[in-house]
Amino acid sequence: MSDPHVTPPTPPRPLGLLRGARLIAAKDLRIEARTREVTATTGLFAFLVVVMAALAFYLTKDLARQIAPGVLFVSLSFAGVLGMGRSWARERELGALRGLLMSPIPRASIYLGKLASTTLFLGVIALMLLPTVGIFFHLEPDLTLLVVALITVLTCFGFAAAGTLFAALTVQTRARDLMLSVVVFPLVTPTLLAGVLGAREVLGGAPLAQALDWLLLLGACDLLFLSAGVVLFETLLSD
Amino acid sequence: MTAPSPTPTPAPAPSVHGAADAHDAVRAEKLTKLYGTTRALLDFDASFAPGEVSVVAGPNGSGKSTLLALLAQTARPTSGRIHYAPSLNHRSALRAAVGMVAHDAMLYPDLTGLENLELYAALYAVAGPQERVASLRERFGVGRFAERPVRTYSRGQVQRVALCRALLHAPRILLLDEPTNGLDTDSVARLADAIAVERTRGIVQILVTHDEAFAERVADTRIALRAGRRVDGPTDGGEAP
Repeated sequence: MSDPHVTPPTPPRPLGLLRGARLIAAKDLRIEARTREVTATTGLFAFLVVVMAALAFYLTKDLARQIAPGVLFVSLSFAGVLGMGRSWARERELGALRGLLMSPIPRASIYLGKLASTTLFLGVIALMLLPTVGIFFHLEPDLTLLVVALITVLTCFGFAAAGTLFAALTVQTRARDLMLSVVVFPLVTPTLLAGVLGAREVLGGAPLAQALDWLLLLGACDLLFLSAGVVLFETLLSD
Repeated sequence: MTAPSPTPTPAPAPSVHGAADAHDAVRAEKLTKLYGTTRALLDFDASFAPGEVSVVAGPNGSGKSTLLALLAQTARPTSGRIHYAPSLNHRSALRAAVGMVAHDAMLYPDLTGLENLELYAALYAVAGPQERVASLRERFGVGRFAERPVRTYSRGQVQRVALCRALLHAPRILLLDEPTNGLDTDSVARLADAIAVERTRGIVQILVTHDEAFAERVADTRIALRAGRRVDGPTDGGEAP
């Protein structure tokens, strides 16, 4: 029998794009399940933003319905930046990101994996925030809330798609948290605006056909950010 | 990472993974790396033969770690080229062929050592990952502590898991940057044994160390750096400008 110390394993085959992404996302989920750093801390922060906004801006029921989408997406975007910063800080500790970059998986796998986990983290926070906003801003639990939920999911995805790309870049800088906010917020403005305006119109009683326009716009932004991320990720991470 | 595509040296047939031939040599040609105006490495020429352990020595800031980063393709040379084996002319093939122990362990502190090794085994698509991980754990004395999060490890324990990680995929090019840091006497002996085993496999091994006794024990060839330049003779003093 051959000595296992001397005999190398059989030649490895490089992983495909999606399998590599799945490994990265699963790793993130495992770490988060263990530490709950991203969802618990940023979720609590987002909840507090909603509570403070409700106390500060709630005047009448009608006004509250108009303000609610803005409060939802402001709290989600703040939480998103914090969460992404923390998620990428994990890659920086002990040089783990370098280990990923040295592995033979496609670079886009790292982007897609981080995007998947970030979207999931944001989705969990949104799942908690939607009913909170509904309660504090007196939203009726009807079909319109489902459409708002769909708008929220698409907004979270677009935000994560743009944020993941630049979080990878800024994580290697000294003022990374500040840099991420400065870079990401202007970039995702179209997505956030579409999310806020779409949700406001739906809550204001606009026909579903009108909501579809916002959903299509959000989908187009998401696709644009996703494509840019897959294509540019390797270039942005080069030395 | 967008280091220039490695230029393959002419060869009639690609080498087989795990076995090496003369064409598996790594050759650095006029390698220069600048960080802004700081010259980390200047016109570095060297050839690293398969089956040999090359020890790179020099004072702090002499460009040793920069050299390893360039060879690992985690940094791009300002000028110059690195020639790898013809079979490594694709980026993914080259990445799959390089194993590295750097200053950072490249591990996730919130995962256990075992989970880290399983993750890297999956990323490198290692066949029979459990057997491979078990074999390396035995080789480097990574015991039950591997079931605890890396965050709880001592420096030496982290280094031992990092060594397992670097060797998981049976690399053809092994880069070791101060691998004895934090290791106890027994672990240093295990590392020397591992280097000897890898030598029999015929891989290129490049080692950066300040541990003169260890270097003496494992080195086949010596390269001295001073202020980013390859020099002959002693390397004391002369930090990079």
